[in-house]
Amino acid sequence: MRNRFDEQLLMLNKKMIEMGAQCEELIALVAKALLNGDSKGANEAKTKGHEIDQMEREIESICLKLLLQQQPVARDLRVISAALKMITDMERIGDQAEDIAEIIPFLDGRTGAELADFKPMAEATCKMVTDSIDAYVKQDLTLARHVCEHDDVVDDAFSRVKDTLIKMISENTADGEYAVDLLMIAKYFERIGDHAVNIAEWVEFSVTGTHKGE
Amino acid sequence: MTKKIFRSIISVALIVLLSSLVIATTFLYDYFNQTQVSQLKAELSLVADTVNDVGIEYFDNFDSTVFRFTVVAADGKVLYDTEADASEMENHVDREEIKEAIEHGKGSSARNSSTLTEKTFYEAVLLDDGNVLRISVSQLTVGALILSMLPAICAIVIVAVIVALVLSHRMAKKVTEPLLNLDLEHPEDNNSYEELSPILTKIHKQHKQIKSQMETLHRKSDEFEQIISSMSEGLVLLDEHGMVLSMNTAAASIFSVKESAVGKDFLVFDRTTDMSKAVEGAFSGKHSEFKTQRNGNEYQFNINPIVSDGKTLGAVILAFDITDKAFAERNRQEFTANVTHELKTPLQSIIGSAELLENGLVKPEDTSRFVGNIRKEATRLVSLINDIIRLSQLDENHEPATETVDLMDVSKEVVEVLTVSAAKRNVTLNIEGEPQTIYGVRRYIYEIIYNLCDNAIRYNVDGGKVAISIGKENGRTAVSVSDTGIGIAPEHQSRIFERFYRVDKSHSKETGGTGLGLSIVKHAVAYHSGKVTLESELGKGTTVKVVF
Repeated sequence: MRNRFDEQLLMLNKKMIEMGAQCEELIALVAKALLNGDSKGANEAKTKGHEIDQMEREIESICLKLLLQQQPVARDLRVISAALKMITDMERIGDQAEDIAEIIPFLDGRTGAELADFKPMAEATCKMVTDSIDAYVKQDLTLARHVCEHDDVVDDAFSRVKDTLIKMISENTADGEYAVDLLMIAKYFERIGDHAVNIAEWVEFSVTGTHKGE
Repeated sequence: MTKKIFRSIISVALIVLLSSLVIATTFLYDYFNQTQVSQLKAELSLVADTVNDVGIEYFDNFDSTVFRFTVVAADGKVLYDTEADASEMENHVDREEIKEAIEHGKGSSARNSSTLTEKTFYEAVLLDDGNVLRISVSQLTVGALILSMLPAICAIVIVAVIVALVLSHRMAKKVTEPLLNLDLEHPEDNNSYEELSPILTKIHKQHKQIKSQMETLHRKSDEFEQIISSMSEGLVLLDEHGMVLSMNTAAASIFSVKESAVGKDFLVFDRTTDMSKAVEGAFSGKHSEFKTQRNGNEYQFNINPIVSDGKTLGAVILAFDITDKAFAERNRQEFTANVTHELKTPLQSIIGSAELLENGLVKPEDTSRFVGNIRKEATRLVSLINDIIRLSQLDENHEPATETVDLMDVSKEVVEVLTVSAAKRNVTLNIEGEPQTIYGVRRYIYEIIYNLCDNAIRYNVDGGKVAISIGKENGRTAVSVSDTGIGIAPEHQSRIFERFYRVDKSHSKETGGTGLGLSIVKHAVAYHSGKVTLESELGKGTTVKVVF
């Protein structure tokens, strides 16, 4: 009985890592497509996003089965409940990356100076997602805390992008729709960063038993 | 052990006790009975004689504690009894011994009492007066006897149990002590029971066998460890659950694993979709390979299932560093692209001129210019092809005849050949130093000096100078060609020996040249195990030194 439980927990861990890896790959793909003005990535992003949704449901059912059939306590319970919360964040990351991919074709492949601000932002976001998944995989507390601190970089980048776009609109150098699209993309990146922070916080919870919010 | 010994001791003790009891009681009881009866008879005859003499009055002063006497009249009426009042006793005419005595003069019988605890022996004799004198004595029955002996028997049994306990304990200890003290590490050195020696010999043999097998195993695993740790390819072994069984140093550096990876899920170290799909495929028995970049290097991963008896037991991941190979591949592709480009350009020009001539679009006075153009481009093509042939010969590394070559002779020859082109550019050529000889391929050395001088003239300024100096440097023969030309910028200096690399990106035909000269020099020098060094300053000139 216990053996089966351990097996299921291992399986859960495996699936979580796989889902994390898919999120990582999706966001990297979207960032590359954005910076290269490549609208072909959108379709690929869509299938990947769909896969992530499916993985979420799969992991969710594993978690619920474990909770019902094994009635775990202490650390095991923490790991499973943290997994349930984490997949929600991962799924959101996937959705938002997909949203970015949907906007990219409307930019008409423009890769002007305004995209220069996006590069550090996209890179910082990718790094945050990778680090938060890494923190989960290696159960690394320092890395998890590092992710939380790294959020400021993305936030700063977002406000910089916002300022640039406001200036662009006031100087009337770009059409409004383009500027708004860019703003949406920036906001999505910022939200993805926040979800990465959430994941890192849940990693901390599953290891130590205390959540940052408490 | 103790229990068993105890049981056997106690059972022996009990059996002995019981059997001796039975034998003793049977024999002794019979014996006592007989003695009793004969004693009774003797006593009876004695008393009967006296009574016959004295009469019944004899009993008036009679006192007997051992025997009981009864006098019974012939009709059965009790006349006298030593223990009871005769008048109250019942008629004894039916008693067996009395009957017998009346009939035969003597009678005897034995009867158990109503409680069965006593047995009474009777002897009777007919007196002279017609009365019957009876003597009787009571004694315990066998059962009662044993019953009375019970406390003693119990005591003996208890003593036997205690003795058996102590003895069995001691014996067990004594028997087992040598067994417990057996040194199983060195079974043959033991000095215990003889009966154990076959077992000990067997153990000794098995010891030796296990030891040798362990040694073989250790050696094998050491060998395996040695082999995989000194492998430059990364090797990872996974079990059927995807856990790492073994990971060599090369693989650890590829997957940036710092601590021991054994026993952990491989996903922890690499979670890319490509890899997890390939590993999953391996578990279902499929071989797969893919190329990917990691830490700035290019790797090729081969993932194979480990199958035994039709069951997948795990997977092997082999990682090859193909950075150099990929680089060489790119170089070759670039070279091919360059060659085709270089070959195509003059041909296009030739075709263009020829077409114009063919269609009569060229004015007669321009014809010679166009034909000259065609000849020039064709010459360029030939020289390009010659260069490529020379390069490929050097690449193939076939061994041409080596001889003693005088560098001065070769240099003079080169200067002779190049005088015309030098004069065209108004460049003076000089040879300095003294004759030096080296052992090598004359043609290759000619190529080295020719190409260096050719470049020195080609990229020189009007009225510039080119000097070939031959001499010794640190005991080794050296040739250097210096010019007062345009020089090479530092960012190009490391790349000019590459094939088709031009400082002037436009591949302009102004200066001519194929872009292969220095490449040929590099290969030719390398063939002679020499070294080329370049010193150059933009606008001042270049010195190329070759040390053999």
